[in-house]
Amino acid sequence: MGETLAGGVHLEGAQAMTLPEHVARNRAAWDGWATDYVEAGERAWAQDEPTWGIWGIPEAEVGMLPPDLAGKDTIELGCGTAYISAWLARRGARPVGIDNSEAQLGTARRLQAENGLEFTLLHGNAEEVPLPEKSFDLAISEYGASIWADPYRWLPEAARLLRPGGELVFLVNGTILMLCVPDEDGIAAGDRLLRPYFGMHRFEWPDDQSVEFHLPYGEWIRLFRRNGLEVEDLIELRPGEGATTGYPFVTSEWARRWPSEEVWKARKRLDG
Amino acid sequence: MSSSSSSRLSADARRNREHWDAKADDYQSRHSAFIGRPEPRWGVWQIPEDELGILGDVAGKDVLELGCGAAQWSILLARRGARPVGLDNSEAQLRFARRLIEAQGVELPLVHASAESVPLADESFDIVFCDHGAMTFADPYRAVPEAARLLRAGGLLAFSMASPLLAICWNEETNDPEERLLNDYFGMHRFEWPDDGSVEFQLPYGEWIRLLRRSGLAVEDLVEPCPAADAISTYEWNLAWARRWPAECIWKARKR
Repeated sequence: MGETLAGGVHLEGAQAMTLPEHVARNRAAWDGWATDYVEAGERAWAQDEPTWGIWGIPEAEVGMLPPDLAGKDTIELGCGTAYISAWLARRGARPVGIDNSEAQLGTARRLQAENGLEFTLLHGNAEEVPLPEKSFDLAISEYGASIWADPYRWLPEAARLLRPGGELVFLVNGTILMLCVPDEDGIAAGDRLLRPYFGMHRFEWPDDQSVEFHLPYGEWIRLFRRNGLEVEDLIELRPGEGATTGYPFVTSEWARRWPSEEVWKARKRLDG
Repeated sequence: MSSSSSSRLSADARRNREHWDAKADDYQSRHSAFIGRPEPRWGVWQIPEDELGILGDVAGKDVLELGCGAAQWSILLARRGARPVGLDNSEAQLRFARRLIEAQGVELPLVHASAESVPLADESFDIVFCDHGAMTFADPYRAVPEAARLLRAGGLLAFSMASPLLAICWNEETNDPEERLLNDYFGMHRFEWPDDGSVEFQLPYGEWIRLLRRSGLAVEDLVEPCPAADAISTYEWNLAWARRWPAECIWKARKR
C-alpha cells in the first residue's frame, strides 16, 4: 500500500509545494470529478475480461495487454480507480498504480478492500514517480497520464521505470478527433478541422480547469525513440456497428469512419 | 543496366505505367526546372534535404531511388558521392532521365520496373528512398517488403508522400483538400482517379507502422514538414491548408 512506502507521505508534501501548474489543475479537476467515476470504477472492477476506451471494445479485439502477465511488475500511470491494475493482478501481475487524485485513489482503496485484492497505490504525478529505474516490465495507461500529464515529462519517466525489453502501452483520444472536437463541453466532434495539427500539445477548455495533452503522430514517434523505445504498434480503434458511449464528445457514426481512439505500443530497447 | 519485366506487372502497376508514359512530357515540362535545383530537396514545396536531414551522409553508399522520374534526386546524390540506381515504372520518364544523366555527365544506372517487383539482388543497398514516388504509385503491401528485401541490415528506407490526413480531407471534385473530413479513414488503401486513370495508394498511420515492422524494419521517424509561409511550388497544392495540417509526410525506417 502507498502508506507503507517509506517516505511516501513526506514526498507527497514536498511534491505538492512544487507541483507544476497543469498537475495542480488536473489534481483539483479530478478530485472534483472522482464521485462521477465511482460507478464506472465498480463496473470495471467487476469485469473479468478487460474492455477498452469509451466504446468498451473487448481485449480480445484490441490486444492491448501482453499475453503472459504472470509474475510481471506493472505500473499503471494515472490509474484512477485502478481497474486495469485489478485486471493485471488477477492475471498474476504485481501491479503498482499511481494517480494524481487522492479522491480517485479513495475509490480504488475501497474497491481493493471489497475485492480482497491488494496492491500498491501511490498518490503522485506520473511525470515524477518516486520509484527506482528499471523496476517494471509493463507501464500502462488508459486515458490516464497518457492524456492528463505532459508527454514530454511522463514518457521519459515511463521509459526510465521500464526494464530493458519492457513494454509501454497506452490509450489516448484519436489525433484526428482532437482536431475536430469543439471547445465547448457536451458537443460532439463534427467533420470540421477546428484547430491546426502543427504544434498540437497542450489543450485547455473553456468549461473546466483541466489541461490535456495530445501530440502529432510524428512527435510521438520521435519521443519514443529519444527515450530508448522501439515503436511496436499504433492500434486505431473502431467501434462495432451500433456501439454506444456515455461520452458526449464523439458519436459512433464519427468513430466508425475516423479513429476516435488510439493505442500506442512501444518497447524499451534491450540496450536502452 | 536496363531491365524490363512487364509480364510480372500487377494490373495497377500496368495502369500507372500507361498513365506515366502518357503524362511524362507534360510533367517534366511543368516541373523539371523546379525539382531540378542544385541541391536535394523534398516534396511539393522543395524543402532542402540539408534542413530535414532525412538521408544524412550518402557518400560511398549504394542508393536506390524508387520512382526516379527524370532522376533529378539521384543525380544530386551521385554528386554527393553516392552510388545511386534510379528505378522507374515509366519508360517515358526514364528517357528524360537518360537525357539528364548524359547532360550532367554522372554515372547512374537505370532500371525500368515497378517497385512492387524489382529485378535486383537482396541486400544490395544502404538506402532505398523515394520522394513522392513509388510509395504513392505502387501498392505498399508489395513495395515495402520489396524495399526491405533490397536493403542491407542497418539500411535506411525513407519515403515521402501525401499524408493520410490529406487523403481523408481530399475533395475529388475540386482536386483540393477541404478543412473537413470527407473520406473514410478506416480501410484506406487504393484510390482510383477517374479523370486520369492512375491509381494511388495510402494507408492509415497505424497500418504503415505494422507494415514496416512486419517487413523487418524499425520505425525511426515520421517527419511532417510544414512549408514556409512564402513557399513556392509548381504543383498546385493548397499552401494555406498545408501550413495548418500535414499535407506531406516522410517515413523513415531501418532494416533490423
